[in-house]
Amino acid sequence: MRSVALIAWYELYRLFLTKRGLLSLLAFALVWFLILRYAIYGAAQFFSVDQVGGIIAGLFNSNIINNLMSWQVPEIAMFWVVMLYLLPIFCVMLAADQTASDRARGTLRILHLRASRDGIFFGRFIGQLLVLFFLIIIALATTLILVMMRDSTQLLPALRLSGIVLVNLMLVLLPYTALMAWVSSMARSARQATTYAVIIWIVCSILAGWLSRQFPELWVLDMVLPGSQVSSLLQLSGWNTLSLALIPIVQTVILLFLGRMIMQRSDW
Amino acid sequence: MSLIECDNITKRYGSTLALDGVTLSLEAGAPIALIGPNGAGKTTLFSLLCGFLRASSGDVKIMGYSASDSRLHGRLAALPQDANLDPRFTVGHQLTMLARLQGMSSGVAHKEVLRVLDKVGLPEVIVKKPEALSHGMRKRVMLAQALMGSPELILLDEPTAGLDPPNVKVMRSLIAEAANNATFIISSHNLDELERVCKSVVHLEQGKLKGVVDIAQSRSSGYYTVVMAEMPVAANIIIASLKSLPSVNNVTFNEPNRFVIEYDAAQAGLDLTIMQCLSDKGWPYRQLVNGRTLEDQLYFGSE
Repeated sequence: MRSVALIAWYELYRLFLTKRGLLSLLAFALVWFLILRYAIYGAAQFFSVDQVGGIIAGLFNSNIINNLMSWQVPEIAMFWVVMLYLLPIFCVMLAADQTASDRARGTLRILHLRASRDGIFFGRFIGQLLVLFFLIIIALATTLILVMMRDSTQLLPALRLSGIVLVNLMLVLLPYTALMAWVSSMARSARQATTYAVIIWIVCSILAGWLSRQFPELWVLDMVLPGSQVSSLLQLSGWNTLSLALIPIVQTVILLFLGRMIMQRSDW
Repeated sequence: MSLIECDNITKRYGSTLALDGVTLSLEAGAPIALIGPNGAGKTTLFSLLCGFLRASSGDVKIMGYSASDSRLHGRLAALPQDANLDPRFTVGHQLTMLARLQGMSSGVAHKEVLRVLDKVGLPEVIVKKPEALSHGMRKRVMLAQALMGSPELILLDEPTAGLDPPNVKVMRSLIAEAANNATFIISSHNLDELERVCKSVVHLEQGKLKGVVDIAQSRSSGYYTVVMAEMPVAANIIIASLKSLPSVNNVTFNEPNRFVIEYDAAQAGLDLTIMQCLSDKGWPYRQLVNGRTLEDQLYFGSE
């Protein structure tokens, strides 16, 4: 357990002390600034005006829009929507190199003399989750500042909603991070891991789509891919969102099982 | 309990048999050499001992534990041949992390990193990234990571490969010094180097164990090696002259200038006779060695 914690903690160092980590952080900060300034701030203005929200509801999926409009703090509602789609992409890029380049470089061998294969695999996985957790916290903090600037009385409800959003976003990101842990255990570079992930994603989605048409009674096929619960999540609010938590948790367990199996059996 | 026990281990890469039923038992003590030509299975055996590879069949035990057992962490250290540190972090940062994984606290780990870097003569690289170091310096840093803590067994895979002579000398003295506290197993092609450092040899060829040789025996009586400064006449003429000396049983020539003389061990004073013979003929020699080189013993010997 000590080695898992040390390796996981080291991933945060990787984010702050390496050029590549800082570049990722900068890219995230820039993208996030643009989203915050133009998407969240702008959209929150629209949502705070009922009539305009009504127009949007008419144009798009009214269930989702109506649900978002019911959120007490529009900035957090927009944060929720944007992050649900943005973070998985960022996660795939960020978590691609969990073990891949260390394997190619031989660094895993040096680590393995002091930590078990499980320690390295789960340490890196948890480390990536720590990094994502940290990024979400930062993004949430900036959004809360935006809320304060508009209406400081909404800080407390915004904090309550932030907790819900944080837990749900981490749940959404769990299987994506586990997927990258799996493909990274087979790859020798971050690019190769990303390529594997794309191939697996496309093959699984085609296969699942074809099977669900052939066997409509196999409803579980709709939940094979990470993020499959996102559209349903958008129709829920508050802690009700946790009613879908089992889907990403089961996906994560399966993906980690596959990754661990590769990690245990592979030659370094 | 033996330091290392290999019981009929086999390793396959697809259809290629890299190790074929190797059974071996090694005890703690003086440095042990692991030698063999390219493709003999040295790195495969090395990697199996470190737990980097899984044997296709057979069993490997280090100090009574299977090769990748976590109870060996800190007790088994290694310098894998092509392993490098992460180029994005400083040497000090990474070694401290590795020391912490060995169970040291943050403060103790930092002191230990300073100690081992000082030992390999590179205290200044603690703030440098691996990319900024020369090949020789990187090798020494990798040796430093292997010396951290108090490992009982240290495996070195080609520790002097690609090093210049001064760095080879540094590496050799570091190993000799550390060998007082740990057993070294050194895989290398450099037989001269191994002969200077090691006391016994594990000889692999085509994935099979050819034998475990005691280097001291190679220096025992029964053989002389003459290294010629130049070859003024054909080798067969020199062989014929040496064979005509009393008590000489056989003479073999190893290119380009080495003659191994096998003689009756009961006979004393042959060395003087050989020197006299070479002097009389006007054939200049560079060395007369009592015994055989490891290379002659392993690859050209009559045994």
